[in-house]
Amino acid sequence: MSSIAATRVQRELKDINSEECSGQNIRIELMNDQFEHLKGEIIGPPGTPYQGGKFKLSIHIPETYPFNPPKVKFETKIWHPNISSVTGAICLDILKDQWAAALTLRTVLLSLQALLSAAEPDDPQDAVVAKQYKDNNSLFYKTAKFWAQIYAEAPGPTDTDCMDKLKKVTEMGFYRDPSLRALSSNSWNLADALDNIG
Amino acid sequence: MDSDEDFDYYDAGDDEEDDLSLRDDADDDDEDEGYLDDNIIVSEAPHGSETKDEEVYPHECLSADRIVDLMVEILKEVNDIVNIPPTTLRILLAHFNWDKELLLEKYYEYDGNQERIFKEAHVVSPFKMKRSNKSRDVSCEICCSSCSSSFMTGLDCGHMFCKGCWSQYLRTKIMDEGMSQTIPCPAFDCEIIVDDAIVMSLISDKKVRLKYQHLMTNSFVECNSLLKWCPSPDCHHVIKVEYRDRRAVKCDCGREFCFECSESWHDPVLCVHLKKWLKKCDDDSETSNWISANTKECPKCQVTIEKDGGCNHVICRSQTCKHEFCWVCLGPWDPHGASWYNCNRYNADDAKKARDTQQRSREMLQRYLFYCNRYMNHLQSLKFEHKLYARVKRKMEEMQQLNMSWIEVQFLKKAVDVLCQCRQTLMYTYVFAFFLKRNNQLLLFEDNQADLEKATETLSEYLERDITTASIRDIKQKVQDKYRYCDSRRSVLLRHVHEGYDKEWWDYLD
Repeated sequence: MSSIAATRVQRELKDINSEECSGQNIRIELMNDQFEHLKGEIIGPPGTPYQGGKFKLSIHIPETYPFNPPKVKFETKIWHPNISSVTGAICLDILKDQWAAALTLRTVLLSLQALLSAAEPDDPQDAVVAKQYKDNNSLFYKTAKFWAQIYAEAPGPTDTDCMDKLKKVTEMGFYRDPSLRALSSNSWNLADALDNIG
Repeated sequence: MDSDEDFDYYDAGDDEEDDLSLRDDADDDDEDEGYLDDNIIVSEAPHGSETKDEEVYPHECLSADRIVDLMVEILKEVNDIVNIPPTTLRILLAHFNWDKELLLEKYYEYDGNQERIFKEAHVVSPFKMKRSNKSRDVSCEICCSSCSSSFMTGLDCGHMFCKGCWSQYLRTKIMDEGMSQTIPCPAFDCEIIVDDAIVMSLISDKKVRLKYQHLMTNSFVECNSLLKWCPSPDCHHVIKVEYRDRRAVKCDCGREFCFECSESWHDPVLCVHLKKWLKKCDDDSETSNWISANTKECPKCQVTIEKDGGCNHVICRSQTCKHEFCWVCLGPWDPHGASWYNCNRYNADDAKKARDTQQRSREMLQRYLFYCNRYMNHLQSLKFEHKLYARVKRKMEEMQQLNMSWIEVQFLKKAVDVLCQCRQTLMYTYVFAFFLKRNNQLLLFEDNQADLEKATETLSEYLERDITTASIRDIKQKVQDKYRYCDSRRSVLLRHVHEGYDKEWWDYLD
């Protein structure tokens, strides 16, 4: 790892952790003493279905950082038009062609938080989610909230209807993740979900 | 020259003899100058004025150094008119794709509001007051270390970074992303473009500098509509023309190509059609043979179906179709009933209709395969002709030992040249015809094509076989007659097609 990248990351970590208590709800820590892999966490912003959820991110620092963007994806499963519900891959301009060397990990995490508050369904990463977001926003809200509660420890009582259906499918012997994805992608219709479970 | 009266569209066959014998001497002398001059001679022939192919298309082959000179020339020319620093001017010109007229036009159109032109080109106006950046020690936003201000630098947008970060940044942009004319300032959301003087002052690594210069030349050529790289691998020459057109240009490396689309010279077919054709061939040629042999289309939704089991009761798998039909007669399955094992309902109406549709789509495929096979045949033969060159060369040496002069034996090489030209033209005539609807002009064209093809094959045969057996004097006469005939038939065919383009004789299939 080049010396610029290492000093930059060290410096950034120090800055972020000093601001940690200042209410921005973001955190970054090292995986080991190499600066290549970092773990990040953002808290779901209030007023969104993700409110209070803890979303873990994997951050890979390329050799040429900060001249090339860090590679960031969601470790925690999330239901969001710009984030793949399968792989956690993120569609965000500053992580691609809009990256500038003067941006930092802190700005990246803050941008991700902003993305949770304001999705861009017209530029989707996950077409299924984006379609639901546009066609049936209340269903989207319900689903995203349920996912946040299941995977990201978001507080509050879980939707009983969703819980029941998920239970029914898993009791048939399917794993939880594909079951939940099938239900969510099929408007929580039990029969359709069972037809298309993958 | 037997049956050419039938095929003669331009009536060239009759006066061809005299015409050609007149050229005989001149021809032999100029032999080594290739066929370019030959074209000129043909255009002087009394065939009329519609000889687009044979007009001279002025072009020039430039080496890498000459390209840089050309770039500097343009910069100078414009700089004489508008007084802008060369680094800024270069960015402006790149923004206008090196079209200096357009730049000047816009520059004066926006008179008084030239700020706008600079903004659109992502560069800071040189007429603006520069910000003074004589501040104390500052920290570089990229590496977060504080440096003395003398070690900081930046563009006119005022974003300052340390020189170490700058050179790393430029290195990544140039080496990894291959950018040159459009590298922006590293600050977020700043679009001001880095000029070449800064790059050269900040980059000391020879490799990076070289790559940068190479990228600059490349984008200069790509942007400039009057320049085109020679498409040959490892050829670094550029062809410069006076005006843009679909015409043949020849690089110093020997490659002849179409200036418009960079494919090998493809007269008489148009670039669009050639492109369509090449794509179709890439997509289809192998697959379509297999499809033709092994599949049928669903009579309802036309999806292609391969039968992989013995039962003739076929159910279309397409989700929206699910049509049930009989594989043998292609009629709907219902009237067959469950008990029919062999289909004997040949003339049922709907079955017949289904078969007709099927037949039509098969005919389309057959038609494509017809043209494709012929195109491929000539392409293959053309590839083999380089072997012929070697053989002919040996023969020529042999003949020179038999007391013939160097000039006397050049006719053989010339004959192979003509053979290759004819094959290339023939190859593209099939592409041309593939996209056309039948009409009388197309019939004429096909006669021309058939005649040229027949003559070309005979010439090919002479060169392949007879050359080794027949007496040299005999063969010389035969070969010369034939290649001249081929050459003139080729001109006739091309002229006919070009005239058709001018007079809109050709009806295209959609």
